[in-house]
Amino acid sequence: MATDRNASGGGGAAARPLGPRARMFTLMVVRALTKRGSRLTVALGAIAVGAAVVFALTSLYFDISIKMSEELRTFGPNIIISPHVDEKQGGESRLADASLLESAAKSLPADRMVGATPYLYGVVRLDRGNAVLVGADMAAMRALAPYWQVDGGWIAASFDDRNAMVGRRLATSMGLKVGDPVTIVNRDRSTQASVTIKGIMDTGEAEDDQIFINLALAQKILNEPGKANFAMASIVADGAEADSLAASIGQRFPGIEARPIRKVSEADGQILGKIDGLMALVALIILVITTLCVNATLTAMVAERTPQIGLQKAIGASDGSIVAQFLAETALVCLVAVAIGIVGGFLLAQLLGQAVFSAWVTFRPGMVPLTLGLCLIAALAAAMLPIRGAVRVVPARVLRGE
Amino acid sequence: MAPMDGTAFAAVSDDAATTSAPIPNPSREVIGCDALSRHFGQVAALDDVTFRVGEGEFLAIMGPSGSGKTTLLNILSLLDAPTSGSYRLDGIETANLTEKDRVVIRREKIGLVFQQFHLIPYLSAVENVMLAQHYHSVADRDEALEALERVGLAERAGHLPSQLSGGEQQRVCIARALINAPALILADEPTGNLDADNERRVMKLLESLRAEGRTIVLVTHNPALGRQADRILRLEHGRKA
Ligand SMILES: Nc1ncnc2c1ncn2[C@@H]1O[C@H](COP(=O)(O)OP(=O)(O)OP(=O)(O)O)[C@@H](O)[C@H]1O
Ligand SMILES: [Mg+2]
Repeated sequence: MATDRNASGGGGAAARPLGPRARMFTLMVVRALTKRGSRLTVALGAIAVGAAVVFALTSLYFDISIKMSEELRTFGPNIIISPHVDEKQGGESRLADASLLESAAKSLPADRMVGATPYLYGVVRLDRGNAVLVGADMAAMRALAPYWQVDGGWIAASFDDRNAMVGRRLATSMGLKVGDPVTIVNRDRSTQASVTIKGIMDTGEAEDDQIFINLALAQKILNEPGKANFAMASIVADGAEADSLAASIGQRFPGIEARPIRKVSEADGQILGKIDGLMALVALIILVITTLCVNATLTAMVAERTPQIGLQKAIGASDGSIVAQFLAETALVCLVAVAIGIVGGFLLAQLLGQAVFSAWVTFRPGMVPLTLGLCLIAALAAAMLPIRGAVRVVPARVLRGE
Repeated sequence: MAPMDGTAFAAVSDDAATTSAPIPNPSREVIGCDALSRHFGQVAALDDVTFRVGEGEFLAIMGPSGSGKTTLLNILSLLDAPTSGSYRLDGIETANLTEKDRVVIRREKIGLVFQQFHLIPYLSAVENVMLAQHYHSVADRDEALEALERVGLAERAGHLPSQLSGGEQQRVCIARALINAPALILADEPTGNLDADNERRVMKLLESLRAEGRTIVLVTHNPALGRQADRILRLEHGRKA
């Protein structure tokens, strides 16, 4: 050794650049980790699984309200707009102006609107018997009732007066097939129209017994020009919001009342609340399990390395540098594990999204720091006791003979 | 004392090494122990031991197994503290030092060679030496390689401890003990597990260190090694014999 630091003024730690210190530290951390295969794999696996579940659940959690209302919307319209029924007149449902119902529906915020259409009902004769005729905006219907399963096709335009859609049960009982011509006759035989069956739909509801045509044609056949029974709208809104939107229609259009269709709006809120709670609980349990698993692994790792820790202390390592080394090792393992976990978690989120919502879950970059943060907290919490154990290693005992 | 073998350890006869070291002053006390005792429960591993080591002195501690040699060395290296008695190191009374101070003094002043070869298994030979530099000040690969060259291990620098023989591992430990140029070297049976060849190498290394003016305390069973020392402290059942 040519240089003698003590003799040449000694110390010098402060004057030295930081670079090589950081390099030696990194080297130690990386070597310590790469040289302990199986144990490390356990810790890595535990954190990666934790990170995957946390990432999948948080991604789903933030996706879920959107996916949920999309899902609920496929159950059909959620606001009904109808003429106000005056109880005193004992009036059955009067007809309203279709244009009034339409403008009431249009007053709902456009960015929340999925679709809206007036409905006009009447009983008509078909070739083989009576049926309920529904006149509606068939172009809007497609957005309003996406859950209909249609053989053939939808009526694509609202001005189409040559095509009809027929419910499955009605079609079966009358022996109708897609492409068949059907004559629709008013009950007093005053008007009639010939249409072609464009599609046959399964809805699981009353529509299965009905025949649908565009509103204008229905008004002509039923002799009710410009009229409709009510309108239905589908909007993106939860229970309370749907309530207030419906109320605002009632205020702006006297003689019209709008009601949310309760069943769906409330289910919306309740299901969401339950799923939120469930996911938070699962995420918490997973984090606790991860913490315990990492704790067990690190405890074993410290026990295994006790001789080396003692040696490091004997040759001048301060408690601080021992703590720093284990923290850095934990953090590094955590980082690698979280990277793996996020990839796995994204795939898991897709699986869950497909299974529950039949929808893909969006990748949300914001979930990355969240997942990393949670896992770091869990892992470092798990590392506390083992690291305290490492600090307490007594070098004299470790290094003493045999 | 045997004459120095200048050819085997070229670095020793280097001007830098020999001239930069201050001329030791044996009347200056480096180690001062008074009535040192260390009890483990009922066992008195060390009992009322008093001695002094001056600057540049080479002291050998000898005695049968279990006589308290390692116990004494652990106290001298501040890895352990006496149950009673006092220990001054370089004029500092060690009794009231905090653990932090003890770590600092150990890495600044003391080079340790243990009875067993103690190396970090996941670091290569040169990295093990660099680790001591790192804790002392800053790691310097070239200096660490020089130290390995001095113990004749330049070509094994990149090997892991598991790939080295016992003698080679012990020489890495010696290189590590020397790397920070400590004023005091404490060695616990550095040749205990070595064959004659390696033992000779280690003896020559110690000889060259002593020539540099370092203070050396060496625990040994080996009478030949003991004879190399200026003085011998004999222990028996924890007492000075
Ligand atoms: N931590 C301890 N707890 C209990 N007894 C101890 C402890 N350390 C040492 N001893 C005892 O103190 C005595 C001296 O031990 P020490 O290790 O100093 O002997 P030694 O002279 O180094 O022996 P050897 O030549 O075999 O290395 C022994 O009887 C030993 O059992
Ligand atoms: Mg011993």
